[in-house]
Amino acid sequence: MSEALDSLRQEVRDWLAIHAPKDWRGQSTSEAAFLELQRSWFASLAKAGYAVPHWPENWPGGGRSLAQQKVIYEEFARADTPRLLLSFMSTYHAASTLFEWGSEEQQQRYIPRILEGEIWCQGFSEPGAGSDLAALRTRAERKGDVYVVNGQKLWSTMGQFADQCLLLVRTSSEGVKQAGLTYLLLDLKAPGVTARPIHQIHGDEEFAEIFLDNVEIPVADRLGEEGQGWAVAQSTLSSERGLTLLELSARMRGALWRIGDLIRANGRGEDAGVLRDFGRLASKVDATCAVADQFLANRIAGEERVGDASIVKLAYSRTLREFTSLGLRIGGLEAQYHAPITFGGGMETGNWMADFMNSYAWTIAGGSDEVQRNIIAERLLGMPREPKNWVVKEGAA
Amino acid sequence: MSMTRAELQDAAAKAFDGDLTPDAAHSWNLIADMGWLMMAVPEDQGGLGLGRAAVGVIHQALGRTLVAGPAIAQMLVIEALSAAGGQDELLGRAMAGEVMTASLADGLSAVPDADRASHVLQVEAGIISLLPVGDLAFTARTTWDGTRRLFDVDAGDAAGIVLATGDAATALASRLSALRSVALAADCLGGADAALAMTIDYLETRRQFDRPLALFQALKHRVADMKTALVAAEALFWARASDTAADAVTMGAMKAHAAGVYRLIAEEAIQLHGGIGLTMEHPCHLFLKRATLNAVLGGDGDHWEEARGRQAMTA
Repeated sequence: MSEALDSLRQEVRDWLAIHAPKDWRGQSTSEAAFLELQRSWFASLAKAGYAVPHWPENWPGGGRSLAQQKVIYEEFARADTPRLLLSFMSTYHAASTLFEWGSEEQQQRYIPRILEGEIWCQGFSEPGAGSDLAALRTRAERKGDVYVVNGQKLWSTMGQFADQCLLLVRTSSEGVKQAGLTYLLLDLKAPGVTARPIHQIHGDEEFAEIFLDNVEIPVADRLGEEGQGWAVAQSTLSSERGLTLLELSARMRGALWRIGDLIRANGRGEDAGVLRDFGRLASKVDATCAVADQFLANRIAGEERVGDASIVKLAYSRTLREFTSLGLRIGGLEAQYHAPITFGGGMETGNWMADFMNSYAWTIAGGSDEVQRNIIAERLLGMPREPKNWVVKEGAA
Repeated sequence: MSMTRAELQDAAAKAFDGDLTPDAAHSWNLIADMGWLMMAVPEDQGGLGLGRAAVGVIHQALGRTLVAGPAIAQMLVIEALSAAGGQDELLGRAMAGEVMTASLADGLSAVPDADRASHVLQVEAGIISLLPVGDLAFTARTTWDGTRRLFDVDAGDAAGIVLATGDAATALASRLSALRSVALAADCLGGADAALAMTIDYLETRRQFDRPLALFQALKHRVADMKTALVAAEALFWARASDTAADAVTMGAMKAHAAGVYRLIAEEAIQLHGGIGLTMEHPCHLFLKRATLNAVLGGDGDHWEEARGRQAMTA
């Protein structure tokens, strides 16, 4: 078992030594260069059979155990390859949802195109539905063989570059808000769709907002039944558990040298206070790696508990904030001078102010720290849940 | 013999079943009778050969119920006798529970239960020896933490049984430092776990404004942060405890991390208990006192974090 894993590790390592892009951060200074790098790296991984190790074994490149997937991602982190940002939603969220809810026909239509590089995004959040996702209001009305959709989606990762969208819409306002949702597959080239990038505070544009104006979606592109959207969406939201955080934690540990170099460059190498802060951070990074590793080990052993994933995410997001914050502090005035960002360069690029601002993506996106804390307290520790009977005071609204 | 960590944890939990600060003499007999002092000793020396994972389980259990006594110091002596070789008679007596103690700080300061011991371990540059207690003078140093009895020992010019010299002494000193960090970190994590559980229980029971305190999100979020810090520190602990290559600095930094988490949770426990947490009748303060003492024993956070920072500079 572990011998087979060692041999896989060696195989991946050997392959990466030849095929992993070299000095890619230096070249990824424009959006066009980023997209080109993402596409060619994905194609290269897909050809070698490393792009979708988590897929079922009847699909090319699939059928790897979780332990094998872990080895592959550990080697990606070790080789400091570009992360698969552009195709992430496609290979995880879209594929996992299609595998679980898609008909044979839907799977045959969409899955092979993902391997060929088709890009999916997620249309869940809305201006009025962030942490409270089930409150979403984008409306779909059935007219014969199509749904006519109107509304606005927000925070669609890579949405401006995507071909397809996993769309959660409201088909009914009756009953509890979760019961009125339906899950559709949207072709972003359909008439009435407009996707616009969101300008983030550090200058990158990793998310889009999508406007839907009388967009027609065939009923054949519905996943699950009408009104079953909330259940289908749970498959999407839980499609990836732990591997990304393991990879990101390993990459954070691998990037500690950037702070070490910064301390040296700024002449602080004998400053005991700075060394202590650096040492304390290194231990936190070590602990974050250990907790991500343990989470996956528990999953492999079938011992994952509700809320465990929230602990890993919260540990990672807080530690990343501290990592980038220490870099920003030691970087001093120099870090305040604007420098061009590296597109898709990872969470620790050494452009400290940009990295620090970008760390908020992990404390807010994918379930904010506050939502994770609720889950840990209520679902893992069993503390009582928020009362639902909150009433707006007369005249206050 | 082989036992899984879960089996060990189960046995340890049964031995100390939740009553805080059990009687010291009874606890010591229990620790010796259960073979806990011989857990980490290789089987060919009469031990159980279970290594540092067993040390971790034992000291988490002792930390969880705030057990008194010199168990950590005793394990250091046992490790030194085991490493020295040829000391089977003394080793056997120590494993059976005859108190032999050692400093939990520098030199011969902070030596637990020196007045009940037959020997004290002395770790000096280039020489490690075991001093019979008859030749020593000691002064009791009462700590705020009432679960520990510490002494400063004056060795004068007493000569003892030499266990290691030269490079062997340097290597053994480093091994003892790592073991001390493992044991102290385990004590911290056991205590932190108990203090957190106690705090959650209290928040669920105590009612103000017609509802349990546990319903307030501001308090729940603090609990979630404590839990997250604890789970991450535990994961780091087990990763390190099973890493036979981890050096004294790596282990010391891990201990500093665990002590920081213990202190966070012990401080929050008092605050979240409100007024009752400030009273002697409630056990909250016992955790706070042991947490702050643990933080400075075996090298404090400033020391280990700076050392870890230097290590990371060259990584």
